[in-house]
Amino acid sequence: MIMGFAKYWEAGKISVNTRLNYGMDLLAHALLKGIYIFIFINLWGVVYSQGSNLIAGFTLNMMIWYLVMTEAVVTSPRKIVEVIGEKVQSGEITNSLTKPYNFILFEYANSMGQAIINFTTAFIAGSIIAGIFIGGFHIQWTTLPLVAIVIILGLTLHFLIMALLAIFSFWIEDAKALNFIYDKVVFVLGGMLAPLEIFPHWLEQITKYLPFSYIAYYPAKLWVQFSMNSFWNVIVGELVWIIVLIITLVIVYHICIRNISINGG
Amino acid sequence: MTFRQHLVMLKEYLKMSLATAMEYRFNFMLEIGSMILNDMMWVSFWWIFFNKFPVVNEWVFNDIIIMYAIVNLSWGLNGVIFGNRNQLAKIIAEGRLDFYLNLPKNELFHVIIGKSSWFSMGDIIFGLIMAFISLELVHWPLFLLLTFFSMILFLSFNIIAGSLSFFIGNAEESSHQLNMTMIAFSSYPLPIFNDVAKLILLTIIPAGFIASIPIQLLKSFDWTWFLLLILASIVFLVLAIVIFRIGVRRYESGSMITLRG
Repeated sequence: MIMGFAKYWEAGKISVNTRLNYGMDLLAHALLKGIYIFIFINLWGVVYSQGSNLIAGFTLNMMIWYLVMTEAVVTSPRKIVEVIGEKVQSGEITNSLTKPYNFILFEYANSMGQAIINFTTAFIAGSIIAGIFIGGFHIQWTTLPLVAIVIILGLTLHFLIMALLAIFSFWIEDAKALNFIYDKVVFVLGGMLAPLEIFPHWLEQITKYLPFSYIAYYPAKLWVQFSMNSFWNVIVGELVWIIVLIITLVIVYHICIRNISINGG
Repeated sequence: MTFRQHLVMLKEYLKMSLATAMEYRFNFMLEIGSMILNDMMWVSFWWIFFNKFPVVNEWVFNDIIIMYAIVNLSWGLNGVIFGNRNQLAKIIAEGRLDFYLNLPKNELFHVIIGKSSWFSMGDIIFGLIMAFISLELVHWPLFLLLTFFSMILFLSFNIIAGSLSFFIGNAEESSHQLNMTMIAFSSYPLPIFNDVAKLILLTIIPAGFIASIPIQLLKSFDWTWFLLLILASIVFLVLAIVIFRIGVRRYESGSMITLRG
């Protein structure tokens, strides 16, 4: 069992090393994230200067550090829908089927390796900008390992949804279009651009139960406002969605593979 | 080749590209539909935002709609007509510029019209819908003129960013990030930024001239800002052409044989 997973661990390590080799690319990714945080600081700075010091339970400081986290988490994976989608559409996926590994798990290891490096650089860039223009905030160091678990589960959920959409591109034949729409759904309904508390009440209630909020909103909210009770609720929510998506992905993946065999025959 | 002949060439390229796209009609429609949905998601964020905070530094939701009309229409038109404008860095780095340099046409014009992005048709449709929603008919001539200048600014900035490949090697990622930065700053109201940031957004990264200044002109016309907008468009266009030409002189062909599809 452990040996079985060792190859995925190695794939993840290779992915980390590969990403680290593209220094300029990594720097450009981090710079852009820093620029977005700068824009958010200006936008929210104006909003807070017009009214109260507390909006939807967030101070300006909390709001910006919340956005540093959502930006880093949501934009850290590769364009998985396009990467896997192209392999599915071109039939390249059949090469992987002859190899002694599970295609989805291999892609997961690959994606997580890159996501961790992208997350770290984007988070550092965002933190530097936030630190300079807004200042730091009180971090509960002891809760950080728990927040890290929520982030890793959130990234796993992110990957599963993107992998599912990529497999669907076998029928729709346009992974880029799906990727476009999914990105924006997470940006808005996942709470990447603003916490769900600023939404109209009916929309807030819906989005809080959708899987997208477990990718951005909940991990970032725990990061700026940790409570043990919320932590357990988020973990349960993430695990439920992960299980639902794994089952769906396995079913859809097998239907797709069967169709690829027929086309190949 | 004369200016008119270049326009004929553009027409032929567009016809060929549309004919190719029509062979994959479902994907063509899907690309357009997905781009419209994509744009709708951005506007829905702003709807949520302005629902909570109705006025932000004198900007109201209708201003955001006008902003999306200008940004989407100008970006979309560039995408359909000059579809290669954000692929320049890659084309230069891969040595694919050889094809364009060997022909008796303006190489910059030829390379940027070499492809059409039909995703951008979604932006054009969405931009027009936003304009119909937010503008009165009397504002349309000025709106279209301002959109034309936004097109020039976007295009010039894309060319400058893409030309980086002439000077620093493969600048594909840097060019992409610069273009994204330009779109990001163009899609937020200029009045939210402090004075230093405003100065940068009206000079080095001319994002303020893309949408915020045109919106200000549509709301209350001012000759000074109108002339400054024209000046900025001309300066950036000349700068883009000069940088590209200097770059071409430094360009070293890899003698790479490529197929153009």
